[in-house]
Amino acid sequence: MTRRGYIIGAISLLVAFVVFVIPFLFVAINAMKTAQDASSLDFSLPERWVFWENLVTTVQTRDYALLLAYWNSIVITVCAIALLVVFGAMVGFVIQRRPSRTSRVVYAFILAGLMIPPAVVPTIWVLQGINLFKTLNGMILIQVAYGLGFTVLLYRAFISTIPRELDEAAIIDGAKPWQIFFRVVLPLLKPVTLTIIVVQSITIFNDFTHPLYYLPGRENITVQLTLYNFQSQFVSQMNLLFMNILLITIPPLLVFIFFNRQIVAGMTSGAVKG
Amino acid sequence: MSRVELKDLRKNFGGLEVIKGVDLTVEPGEFCVFVGPSGCGKSTLLRMISGLEEQSSGTIEIGGRDVTRSEPSERGIAMVFQNYALYPHLSVRENIGFGLSLARTPKDEMRRKVETVAETLQLTDYLERKPKALSGGQRQRVAIGRAIVRDPEVFLFDEPLSNLDAALRSQMRIELTELHERLRATMIYVTHDQVEAMTMADKIVVLNGGRIEQVGTPMELYERPATPFVAGFIGSPRMNLFEGDLAREMGCEVYGIRPEHLEVSETEGRWTGRVRHVERLGADTILHLEVEALGPLLARVDGSRTFNPGQTVHATPNTDKEFRY
Repeated sequence: MTRRGYIIGAISLLVAFVVFVIPFLFVAINAMKTAQDASSLDFSLPERWVFWENLVTTVQTRDYALLLAYWNSIVITVCAIALLVVFGAMVGFVIQRRPSRTSRVVYAFILAGLMIPPAVVPTIWVLQGINLFKTLNGMILIQVAYGLGFTVLLYRAFISTIPRELDEAAIIDGAKPWQIFFRVVLPLLKPVTLTIIVVQSITIFNDFTHPLYYLPGRENITVQLTLYNFQSQFVSQMNLLFMNILLITIPPLLVFIFFNRQIVAGMTSGAVKG
Repeated sequence: MSRVELKDLRKNFGGLEVIKGVDLTVEPGEFCVFVGPSGCGKSTLLRMISGLEEQSSGTIEIGGRDVTRSEPSERGIAMVFQNYALYPHLSVRENIGFGLSLARTPKDEMRRKVETVAETLQLTDYLERKPKALSGGQRQRVAIGRAIVRDPEVFLFDEPLSNLDAALRSQMRIELTELHERLRATMIYVTHDQVEAMTMADKIVVLNGGRIEQVGTPMELYERPATPFVAGFIGSPRMNLFEGDLAREMGCEVYGIRPEHLEVSETEGRWTGRVRHVERLGADTILHLEVEALGPLLARVDGSRTFNPGQTVHATPNTDKEFRY
């Protein structure tokens, strides 16, 4: 590598360190301080290391609200992702493979879903009308609705790279349309499905505003809303807040580390002359 | 082994008629080749027989059964695609057995059938591989295996060799011909390559602009082409065709003479021309001549004779082998 390359590499690493690692270290260090120590919000090492105590207190706060929040968030994320993947891929498949007036109208709606900002009050009104307000099911459907546009867009683009002859070969082999989708097309969508799982699950799991609007109630708490346990206008417990941040950062981090290694491209190589 | 009968088959794309009434009978066990330039409708015709493309009017019968409205899987056909269309996520075994597994064939029977087919095609060692780990020729054999395992009445091939290199192509031509002899199944084969058509076919169907120009055995088409189009299409290098003054002089609209039926001499002959280009193929040499009043003329001469560009030569047509339209 040239000298110039080294210098640019070093600068990039430094920038990445400042932007990504330093905040994380700040959170981690302050999560291990006592309340008094943490309230000064500086970068000094803790006077007394109280990692375990802070962890236990954070988890136990408000009758184990954090554990309930984990459960709720995981249910919402897993269900929403499952629906997004199945519906997104199906819609993308039909729109890409069967161009018609109807599919163009549907596509226009999907693009509109990406462009038009969501309105909170009418959404709540609709949810109340169908008795889904303040329920996890309602929250799941909202997350699906928000994510569907992007998901369909990605799937449609990816499906257009899968040769149509594969569908035709399957038709000749006697496959019904749903068999073509589930046995031929869906397995080939693995790379883009993994991308969608990573991107959407982190978005949904880390969502703060939408659960705040659509999912009020003690028993409906989600992970991001647990931050309010330790922060209010008059009393803030910074050490516990940071511990909470640390704890709720872990699941998305795991998802990312685990799936990022598996995002493989080139699944279709070999389908046609390679 | 079944007869395929097409009756007044037509196809419109929007307002454009691409198949303009095709009547054709492919006899049981015949190797029938559809040949024609790109855009002549040969692939569309094949796809209509397979059921992947719906006809605008007309009927299709396979084995005496009207399949015009049947699903592709119910027509008793199997198809091999130009780019193989193997399922990339499945192993060779699963690729060949895919149709059987859709039909819920018992596991033992499926294994037995797949292995028999793999043996015929020398694919036994590759059964657990994915398509991307195979060479072009092996992929093509898997695609053919997927067709054989269905035990179809009619095999359909859509330019199956066009993605292979020249050496492999001639080898696969022989393999396909042998396969046809062994299976004795009706096969319909689409190609734009007249060499493939001539070497493999029992019957050639020449298509042009959505119509059948001529149907016949390879030698019939070579010796008695019915139209100038067929005359120009079958045979390599292509036949010399002339319109205008020369044709009128000969008492026809189009006059044709094949390059191999021209006698070339350094001293005398009917037409005098200049050698523009010499293609040495070894056994033969193709001369590109520029003849006054005629224009370009191709002649095939013995490879042992030497000609140089710029040389003046004389060409005389063999009068038995002239074509007049």
